[in-house]
Amino acid sequence: MWYYYLREVLSMEYDYLKQKRILLVDDEEQLRELVASILTQEGYAQVRTAGTVADALSLAEAWKPELAILDVMLPDGDGFELLSKLRGKGDIPALFLTARGEEEDKFQGFGLGADDYVVKPFLPRELLFRIAAVLRRSYKEECPRVKLAACELDFERAEVLRGEERLPLTAKEFELLGALYRNAGRIVTIDGLCEAAWGDNPYGYENSLMAHIRRIREKIEENPSKPVSLLTVKGLGYKLVLAGK
Amino acid sequence: MKGTIRLIRRFLLLMVCVVPVLFFLNLAMFIAYTWRERSDNGGWQAAIKVGEELSLGSDGQYHLSAAGQQELADYDAWAILVEDGTGDVVWHSEGLPEEIPLHYSAAEISWYTRGYIADYPTTVGSRGDDLVILGHPKTAYWKMMWNSFDYGMIAGLPRMLLSFLLLNGALAFLIYMILGTGILRSVKPVVQGMEALPEQDVHVREKGFLSEVAGAVNRVNEKLRAQERALRKRENARAGWISGVSHDIRTPLTMVLGYAAKLEEDVSLPEEARRKARVIRLQSVKMKNLVGNLNLASKLEYQMQPVRMEELNLTAVLRQAAADFANEDLEGRYPIDFRCQEGLGACRMRGDRELLQRAVYNVLSNSRQHNPEGCSLFMELWTETGKEGKAGKARIRLSDDGVGVSEEQLETLRSTPHYMMDGGTGVQLRHGLGLLIVRQIVTAHGGQVRLDHGPAWGFLVEIVLDILWPNSGTDTPS
Repeated sequence: MWYYYLREVLSMEYDYLKQKRILLVDDEEQLRELVASILTQEGYAQVRTAGTVADALSLAEAWKPELAILDVMLPDGDGFELLSKLRGKGDIPALFLTARGEEEDKFQGFGLGADDYVVKPFLPRELLFRIAAVLRRSYKEECPRVKLAACELDFERAEVLRGEERLPLTAKEFELLGALYRNAGRIVTIDGLCEAAWGDNPYGYENSLMAHIRRIREKIEENPSKPVSLLTVKGLGYKLVLAGK
Repeated sequence: MKGTIRLIRRFLLLMVCVVPVLFFLNLAMFIAYTWRERSDNGGWQAAIKVGEELSLGSDGQYHLSAAGQQELADYDAWAILVEDGTGDVVWHSEGLPEEIPLHYSAAEISWYTRGYIADYPTTVGSRGDDLVILGHPKTAYWKMMWNSFDYGMIAGLPRMLLSFLLLNGALAFLIYMILGTGILRSVKPVVQGMEALPEQDVHVREKGFLSEVAGAVNRVNEKLRAQERALRKRENARAGWISGVSHDIRTPLTMVLGYAAKLEEDVSLPEEARRKARVIRLQSVKMKNLVGNLNLASKLEYQMQPVRMEELNLTAVLRQAAADFANEDLEGRYPIDFRCQEGLGACRMRGDRELLQRAVYNVLSNSRQHNPEGCSLFMELWTETGKEGKAGKARIRLSDDGVGVSEEQLETLRSTPHYMMDGGTGVQLRHGLGLLIVRQIVTAHGGQVRLDHGPAWGFLVEIVLDILWPNSGTDTPS
């Protein structure tokens, strides 16, 4: 049930992201097979796999992947090393997939500019969510319109489209909707939203946040007092629900 | 080391107190002893009395009355009467030693009255113008021959006594300090060594009168360090083993989990098969959590998990943990009600964000685990003002309205150590790792955990942590 919901959410509007070339590097063949099947089943059309650093590099050279999913421990090197080499040839978003949940690894991975880190074992939906989030974040400029219940969001032009009407989004509204969209279907905490809109020291903006949310609802909801797209999770935060749920 | 200095100071103080006490004690004893000395010290009264008891008879001879005789007998003394002018002895008592002269010049009289006649100590009296001299046994008195002092010296006596006392005191103090410092110098390294023994590697020089003790300290040190190394090695091995096992189990578990999830959503399979796949998936998720918890718990227990302290907002940590939990709850069976103290925006403290988030998440998932049918979760946060400059406290109350625990289970949870920390193999001790981690994390932050029944029913976990702000009710964050 959860899985269908997720498939629906993820497959609705991001088909352009499903066309991205994804390189999966893991030394375990069966795991490669599993992850590749999860991805293809999800609709990702271009997935290729490699078992070693050398294979991965030669594949990357020829194929120019747009997302790398890397295991940390590889037979002829490690994922961090591989990522630096891949990055040497061009910027590429990367997500680490590893059995090593150690804190140091995590910091090393993020230090190299890894976009996310998934510790094994993981649920398929967890992996798919992370991949989708990384892709959305990395290729946001290619972002098409996002469909909500009562309108469409045009992130490229920072506008809300309601029928023929075009409502511009303010900078803060744009930041807030961006943070919510990147985590679509999930709760984003009040603190997370304040941080997205006001930066590192986001104390004392809760009232402003409420005001902004109210204004966003006026733009995107059919009935702002009974929201269906931008939901309040009392005490915790807000959740953006995309059309088709 | 402070203790040793305190000891020396105490001894010094004791000495300072003891010296005056001794002084006064001696004075008192001297007074008590001399008090009994009669005022007619040296038999002077006796000489006067004998003079009074002498009478000149009609025969021109002197007679001593019976009382006078008795007086002489009492003092075991002899007496002579020297006539004024002639210097002749005109009367003497019976038993006068032969060596006593019977004629005296004025110079002799001035000498004898002051001192001795033939080593007999003398006292003098008078009878009219004549002189009565009493001679006492040779060992009866010790006479001061030149009994006069400079006036200046007597006048300066109090000052002199005082300076004597001060000088004595200072000297005693100096001697004590020199001795004390000497002792301290040999004791200090040994004491410092002993004090440092529990924390660090210690080596004390085996020199001086405490060399044996120093040697013993060094031996204890070696033994302690060896034990510490062995323990550390064992703990590392244990944690390393757990970490290794959990690492090795992760990849196969990923496949179990992944394929179970795929089978579960494969519509071409019969319903029964998909239901079984769901069970596999749910159980695999449990194993996944167990693996993670086991690793973290062992690292926390053996202090191998770095606690990265930073200033954070506890409210945000709680919200994030609750949001992570709620994001997993797609079916909405575990609604969370988060309530914050009225007007509390941020609640700042120093702590490890990830670990605290993990602790709160663990409490929430503990409720989920024990209430598979679903339940409501309640999360409350309020702060208490610190009194007298102490840190304020944040009280986090996490409760559910689920099945709860019995009184016995609660008692077991509260009092028995987790099997991981206990050598025993008692099966009854085995309870979830989740709450153990909560306790470990909170303890690492200097806080407390309380387990109880929920307000109405269900289970309750209360976490108390020190916070930086608000430490008073009305301040606003800067």
